[in-house]
Amino acid sequence: MTERNQAGWGHRTLQSLLLLYLLLPLAATAVYAFAGDWQDTVLPKQWTLEWFESLFQDTRFLEALWNSLYLCSISVALSLAVMIPAVFVLTVYAPRLESLMKGIVVLPYAVPGVVAAVGLIRTYSGGPIDIAGTAYLLVGAYFVAILPYMYQGIRNSLLTVSAPELMQAAGLLGAGPVRAFLTVVLPNIVPGILVSTLLSFSVLFGEFVLTNMLVGAHLQTVQVYLSRRMGESGHLASAIAISYFAFILILSMVLMKLGQTKGRRVRG
Amino acid sequence: MNSYLELQSVRKRFGNAAVLNGVHLDVAEGELVTLLGPSGCGKSTLLRCIAGLAVLDGGRIVLQGRDLGGLAPRERQVGMVFQSFALFPNLTAGENVEYGLRMRGESKRGRRRRAEELLALVDLEDKRDVYPHHLSGGQQQRIALARSLAVQPKLLLLDEPLSALDAQIRKNLRSEIRSIQQRLNMTTLFVTHDQEEALTMSDRVCIMNKGVIVQEGTPEQIYMTPRTEFAARFMGSYNVMTRPEALRLFGSLEGSSDSYALRPESVKLIGMEEDPSGHAGRGKRIVDGTVDSVSVLGTIVRYSIEAAGVKLTIDALNDGRLIGIGERRNVRLALDCSQLLQLEKEGA
Repeated sequence: MTERNQAGWGHRTLQSLLLLYLLLPLAATAVYAFAGDWQDTVLPKQWTLEWFESLFQDTRFLEALWNSLYLCSISVALSLAVMIPAVFVLTVYAPRLESLMKGIVVLPYAVPGVVAAVGLIRTYSGGPIDIAGTAYLLVGAYFVAILPYMYQGIRNSLLTVSAPELMQAAGLLGAGPVRAFLTVVLPNIVPGILVSTLLSFSVLFGEFVLTNMLVGAHLQTVQVYLSRRMGESGHLASAIAISYFAFILILSMVLMKLGQTKGRRVRG
Repeated sequence: MNSYLELQSVRKRFGNAAVLNGVHLDVAEGELVTLLGPSGCGKSTLLRCIAGLAVLDGGRIVLQGRDLGGLAPRERQVGMVFQSFALFPNLTAGENVEYGLRMRGESKRGRRRRAEELLALVDLEDKRDVYPHHLSGGQQQRIALARSLAVQPKLLLLDEPLSALDAQIRKNLRSEIRSIQQRLNMTTLFVTHDQEEALTMSDRVCIMNKGVIVQEGTPEQIYMTPRTEFAARFMGSYNVMTRPEALRLFGSLEGSSDSYALRPESVKLIGMEEDPSGHAGRGKRIVDGTVDSVSVLGTIVRYSIEAAGVKLTIDALNDGRLIGIGERRNVRLALDCSQLLQLEKEGA
């Protein structure tokens, strides 16, 4: 019993240290974002909402936030629409191709963002598909960037619920492949898909290199906006970072909540 | 025999490995036939070919006069129960049972009534609104059985349905499945690697090895007269001997077979202090042996005994008569020559 308590304390200490390590920079940023006069004291002498006010009065910020949101949403939605059926067909009907797919989906990790961006710009400026600098190119690049998360997430969900066997059972009971997929596979993998969606969303929301290089000159996203205004004032940059963080936090919580209700229904 | 289900030289390969090497089988209506064999013998593949989940490389499968070749699983009117249950986790037990009827477009009321009948059949009426996660393994498998029976298939395929369950549940469910099958007169193919399951449940048992049926017969025939060494070894603890070994034990032999089999319970054990004359007679033989080990298996005690340089397994009823016989003790064995079986060569 005491041993277990000791182990519990060990774990708790470790956890607290880890949390501290992760949250300290965030807390410091948050304090700085609300700080007025802060020179030679531990905590600011004065608190102010000035930075947030100027931020939220700046239409460019709101526009950038909106740009990021819709670009990420479109990319993730496109990825879901293509990847769910594709990974499903692969997992259930062509499991032999999986080793090949596993190789393909890690490629986005292997190519550094700068290299990918330069390559994409060169390929798509001029030629038959002249879309360099447009949101189309960015959405395409985003699609590739989240490929690994989507593939792994969807595939794991399918295997966890033994999708091939569910399909066989449904088929023997008279369901065609599409109907079987919609009635007994899709409802069971929704929680897993929501997690992949969430992950992809946060990855894209934080992605800077591709965004800045591909569309930075034409389209203001939160990342690009942040980097532009960072030099102006540390307080303002902190305020941007905190708003950005709060935005992702709210988004994540909404998605998680959705996942939980869906998951509860599946598990009964 | 007017066959209900006919398998004609069914063949299947996976890459270079031949899994089914020309399987022939006729099944009569209402019969429960068991495919028994070790893992990798092709029994599950055969079932999957019949269900349409695997494509045949050769041969024909005919169900009630209709060739199943080229038909999708859903057009075959075949029900299947999987080892892993394969219940739909997002549907309740009742919805699972109704699923096949829903796919056929039956009315909600009709579906509901049929599901209730079937849940009653498997004795789970009170679990209609429960999700599979909240059911025990045995209950899940009963729901799976009800689900496959709901669409009134012409043929029921059971792919090791009891293998994932505990021993006690397995025994109960085994007799339950058999009684439901008999009540509905449902033609059934049952796949298992458990010989006890095969013997207790079936009208007929087919022993499979290396992609062919090596022997078929009633459970009694299969148990009492295994034809090959493989069948003898697979059917339990048969003592399989070479010809010289059998000669040493029995003195003289009938036939010219290379190997012989002796059922473990056909040998009688006699304590050294007992008078062996009661066991003597025509075709009987008494030999001396030494006990190597004794293990109590409940109603049966299993002895490992060496006699005339042959290691034998001998089963005796655990009635207390042989209580004094322990390890390293000398005993006498009463052998009955008529119980010695000649075995055919493999593949003969």
